[in-house]
Amino acid sequence: MRYVLQRLLQFLIVFFIVTFGVMVLIRLGLNAPGDPARTLLGGSVSDEMIAEYTNKYRLDQNYLVQYLYWLGNFLQGDMGFSKPNSMDVSKLVLSRVMVTVLLGIYALVLALIISVPLAVRQAWKRDGRFDKSASIVTFGFVSVPGIVLAPLLVLVFVKKTEFTVGNYVLTIGGWFPRIGDKIYPWQDLGAHFQNFFVPVLVLALPLAAIYTRILRGDMVQTLQADFITLASAKGVPPRRVLWVHALRNSLLSLLTAVGGQIGGIVGGALIVESYFAMPGMGNLLVAAILSRDFFIVQSVAAILVITVVLTNLVVDLLYAVLDPRIRHARALA
Amino acid sequence: MTATLTPAEAPAPAAPEPAAAAPRKKRKRPTFGMIFAVTFLVGLTFLAFFADYLPFIRYPDDKIKGGARYGIGPGWEAWFGTEKLGRDVFARCIYGAKYSLQIGVYATIIGLIAGGFLGVLAGYYRGWVDRVVSIIIDCLLAIPALLFAILLVNRLDDVKETAEWLNWLTRQWQIVLALSILATAPLARIVRAQTMSLREREFVLAARSLGAKPARVMFREILPSLVPAMLTVAFTALSILIASEGALAFLGLGLEIGTPTWGTLIQENRTKIYDAWWATIFPCLMLFLTVLSFNIIGDGLSRRFDIRQAGV
Repeated sequence: MRYVLQRLLQFLIVFFIVTFGVMVLIRLGLNAPGDPARTLLGGSVSDEMIAEYTNKYRLDQNYLVQYLYWLGNFLQGDMGFSKPNSMDVSKLVLSRVMVTVLLGIYALVLALIISVPLAVRQAWKRDGRFDKSASIVTFGFVSVPGIVLAPLLVLVFVKKTEFTVGNYVLTIGGWFPRIGDKIYPWQDLGAHFQNFFVPVLVLALPLAAIYTRILRGDMVQTLQADFITLASAKGVPPRRVLWVHALRNSLLSLLTAVGGQIGGIVGGALIVESYFAMPGMGNLLVAAILSRDFFIVQSVAAILVITVVLTNLVVDLLYAVLDPRIRHARALA
Repeated sequence: MTATLTPAEAPAPAAPEPAAAAPRKKRKRPTFGMIFAVTFLVGLTFLAFFADYLPFIRYPDDKIKGGARYGIGPGWEAWFGTEKLGRDVFARCIYGAKYSLQIGVYATIIGLIAGGFLGVLAGYYRGWVDRVVSIIIDCLLAIPALLFAILLVNRLDDVKETAEWLNWLTRQWQIVLALSILATAPLARIVRAQTMSLREREFVLAARSLGAKPARVMFREILPSLVPAMLTVAFTALSILIASEGALAFLGLGLEIGTPTWGTLIQENRTKIYDAWWATIFPCLMLFLTVLSFNIIGDGLSRRFDIRQAGV
């Protein structure tokens, strides 16, 4: 319990520092009075409007007051107003959050579906032919940056392309054309998956490679443990030893990897959304940073920090639930 | 590495030493991946830094006439083809390598210095120093790295307009600065963990009982033992930073407009990918092979020095 409180405190400290830092950073260089409001509202606005905005969001006060005021509003769900989008930031974020969340969840699920069987198969026949070739492939995919994978997959999947190399003509692709702007599952489920397939793949493949490498490494070690020998010796079928005894023990390190990569998924989603022009949070955020729409930047950054840190916290606590050894060690500490 | 660890004053009894070290392990031949990685990187660096003097590399802005609407395909005239304005993709890739490698290396070096310093301090002193450093690390890791880099590069643009003394800050240094801050956190974490275990070792105790000051213990006794770990992490960090630089350039936060970098090349040509695949795919390939090579070297080093890479 003490451990939980300690972690929560740590979470709060990190949250305050990061959100405050982001606020200071995004407002750097806006020193003259009226500057922040003018930036927020765009070029041609009346002085009264600037005064009104400055007053409404306390933009003339020092950073700390502004921050506390913003934080209070944020916690009540009021994230300010975005003039370029002429919409409340909270509504804007809500309308964008779906795409990013779906993208992340699909990618995570797909990566796990790929990686768990692959890693188990690899660990089963360690240093065999399958293990070695799979290791090379996963190592390659760990090294693929998103901006490299995206054009490649687009070329392969999205549109029918004819390659002319000398006299040879090679036709590939055209399996997953993008259909209009039907992004959401409730609009048209088929179109939704067709639109999401390539972007999810861009996110999921490197992720799957990372998970596979970590899980394989851990399972190889687990399979050498005494309790595995015991299980085999007392006649548990090898399949059950592998999939139940060994995998359950190794899932912890996979869990760490999943938790640790949440920030990576968000960063990857940024690129993917921008590449495929999907209306997600990443796209919103990049546009907002470039146009200094700072209420959006602050709110989205805060949401991202909460997501990342909270995930790590949950993973950390799940540890204790899943692994009695850690639970007891912490109880003693 | 071994050269720095063996005492330089005692060259005489060099003969019996290899015999003592021999039963440890037979020297392994480098793997195919390692050979490929080193060759590729050395070759690329050579081409990139002597690009101006090599006859077979055109200037990145030279235009080649002819070809279809989207440029000529790869062939003898232009090895990687030409892009929509008729510029040689190969030349642009090579010049792009120069900027990408420079940015990556500078950022890693700054990150190593900052991360190493913070990590050693935290690991050695522990207590409140450790707590402060840990909070800094946690904060840096809490915010998605790419987002932070975008924010920082973009903000520095405005800051340098208002601040006179920041005139030296070109876009390149802005990117280096942003990326080096990203590299600091994981490096500091690893160095901290290693320092914590090293400070309990006998040679540190010996130095301290001889009356060495903390600074000397940290930087003359502990730091040399950290070199393998830092070097290993540096290569992995380098691969991540180069990929991030590509991502930044792709999002429009690259170097000054018109400067070819891999990310910019991909971004510029990707809409024409169906008509002129070469203009996008070759920069992609270069970026991928570079990242892969650094990863292979990092992986090889971590096996050699037996270092687990947590948190990178």
